[in-house]
Amino acid sequence: MDPKLTEVSQHFERFKAALVRHDYDSCNNLLSQLKVLLTGFRSLPPLFEDTPNAVHELTVARDIYEHAVLLSVKVEDQDAFERDFFQLKPYYTDARNRLPPSAQEHPILGLNLLRLLVQNRIAEFHTELELLSTSALENPCIKHAVELEQSFMEGAYNRVLSARQTVPHETFGYFMDLLAKTVRDEIAGCSEKAYDYLSISDARQMLLFSSDQELLDYVKEEHPEWEITNDVVYFQKAKESAPCKEIPSLQLINQTLSYARELERIV
Amino acid sequence: MTQDTEMKELPAPISSSAAPTSPSTLQHLKEIVSLLETGAYAREVRRIVRAIRLTMALRRKLKASVLSSFLNFALPPGSDLHSRLSSFIPKEDDYEMDVDSATQAPAKHPLPEIEIFCYLVLLIFLIDQKKYDEAKACASASIARLKNLNRRTVDVLASRLYFYYSLSYELTGDLAEIRGNLLALHRIATLRHDELGQETLLNLLLRNYLHYNLYDQAEKLRSKAPRFEAHSNQQFCRYLFYLGKIRTIQLEYTDAKESLLQAARKAPIAALGFRVQCNKWAIIVRLLLGEIPERTVFMQKGMETALRPYFELTNAVRIGDLELFRTVAEKFSSTFSSDRTNNLIVRLRHNVIRTGLRNISISYSRISLADVAKKLRLDSENPIADAESIVSKAIRDGAIDATVDHMNGWMVSKETGDIYSTSEPQIAFNSRIAFCLNMHNEAVRALRFPPNSHKEKESAEKRRERQQQEQELAKHIAEEDDDDF
Repeated sequence: MDPKLTEVSQHFERFKAALVRHDYDSCNNLLSQLKVLLTGFRSLPPLFEDTPNAVHELTVARDIYEHAVLLSVKVEDQDAFERDFFQLKPYYTDARNRLPPSAQEHPILGLNLLRLLVQNRIAEFHTELELLSTSALENPCIKHAVELEQSFMEGAYNRVLSARQTVPHETFGYFMDLLAKTVRDEIAGCSEKAYDYLSISDARQMLLFSSDQELLDYVKEEHPEWEITNDVVYFQKAKESAPCKEIPSLQLINQTLSYARELERIV
Repeated sequence: MTQDTEMKELPAPISSSAAPTSPSTLQHLKEIVSLLETGAYAREVRRIVRAIRLTMALRRKLKASVLSSFLNFALPPGSDLHSRLSSFIPKEDDYEMDVDSATQAPAKHPLPEIEIFCYLVLLIFLIDQKKYDEAKACASASIARLKNLNRRTVDVLASRLYFYYSLSYELTGDLAEIRGNLLALHRIATLRHDELGQETLLNLLLRNYLHYNLYDQAEKLRSKAPRFEAHSNQQFCRYLFYLGKIRTIQLEYTDAKESLLQAARKAPIAALGFRVQCNKWAIIVRLLLGEIPERTVFMQKGMETALRPYFELTNAVRIGDLELFRTVAEKFSSTFSSDRTNNLIVRLRHNVIRTGLRNISISYSRISLADVAKKLRLDSENPIADAESIVSKAIRDGAIDATVDHMNGWMVSKETGDIYSTSEPQIAFNSRIAFCLNMHNEAVRALRFPPNSHKEKESAEKRRERQQQEQELAKHIAEEDDDDF
């Protein structure tokens, strides 16, 4: 066997062992070394040269990046997740014909969708979605993310929250927690517009706080304009925008002048 | 989709007028060659464009025998190129010897234009005969030759060749293979200031990416590639269509709608398939925007059956009935998946709810949330809570004007104000006027006058004066456009 490949495999074994021990610092160190080692192979993207060991090397590299992505979820580092995912992606798209499919593929794709949702990058979410085949869309991990997005768009927030209980993969937990925070902010934003007032207990329930104190802290921090008197939260009534009586004269003058100019050119 | 967009390439039936008077296809081809020659010597790109147009009219009449005698005429027999090209032509029994080949030997080294033209004619012929593998080989050979040619008069021919090159690969489903090559060609075209080539290649690349749903890459290329005034209407239509698709996927619906509608409007009447595609996408985008396309859109000539599924879909969204929406989506799921609009339709669900909610809010001044859930047919474990959060989100997004009373569990609609007391009508009026004026300006800019038509009547000085005026006017229009946007 190729000595370089052996070295990588040995490193990788140590990395996996560290991962089992939850020793994330040494994991990160080993991962950096591994990534550097991987640059030595000519069969990997972007070169994709057809070397004799290509399939094996590609599989090992894919495995490493998959672990890297999962590691980034464990250490809760979204930037690292994005970086590693993009490095992994060519193995799923461009090397699809040469490698046997990976069992981790769908969970990781689902995770990525969830990440985009959490970061509110909906356009990218849909761009990624277009790349998936119909069969992939049926996969529970991906379906989960897709349904979340739908509920999120519709505004059915409690469906989003109840999805926390039915995560298809243990790694989804981290992003689901983040999503819960996003949802809370959304609900707060909606309630502000939709209700005149809410009782404290209703507001607590709606914003998913376990105690009144948490709610009060949250209001103080995020929405200081809300008024709380007699156990009732009053939302600011300033939203009432009276119909504008004033004539936007400057704008009208500008428009009329431009019509005149254009007409002059036509005649 | 392949078929549809390709339709546009088919020539409008202009050949009919020329057919009866002319002796033979071969004669025609010879005339085209002489046109090309004059064009090449005089460096007049216009003549070459005309030559290509004439060729397209001949497309259906090409036969193997005609082609081989044409090659004998155009290329020196026995030369490298001649034998290479002839090998692509399928052998036929009724091979007739052509007298011309013997008597009329052209110059030793044919013009590069003629050479490329031979490739082009042959390639079109092979594609029409469904000999895709030969077509691929022929196309690749021609592209290799093109890379070494740097003549402005070849550019027009080259852009046609690029198109058929890509088409031949698309028909065999190997589009991914030539992506690198197309990118290289685009680079070369950019270096040579071959704008038509850039335009064509950019479209081919976008098509290539979109074929594999690589919207991300397509958008990155599109936003970074140089843009300039369109040279060919067809290419511009395509560009708009691809742009519209990309924007739809990335949720920029307003821009997407504009591009798609413009593409549909600009496309030639003959390109029915292309216009149907544009309309399908435009309908979905308008639905996603919360607009309901008018009935006339679906009743356009020749499109009724193709747009039928989309018509029913629109109906479901208009009524705001989730159940109906679901049945329609299921009923036509095969159509939608072959149009690759499935994912977009999933997005529409949200709009159906919105419309339903808006209808409810208009009809009732006060309604309980349980009834809202029932009317929207939300089937979940906790419909009332769902309805409540959906309603509150709709209020926040400005879809309905109402408040929710949590204690009593009902939604209270506010009085709808008089729209004419706001500046809304003024805005609508302005946008329409702007549209008309823009259309007029575009039309003025697109006017083309045949050169030399009144050269005799004008003295040189006068002409200069006139041209200056014209330029100023054009500049004026352009500047004001910049101001406006």
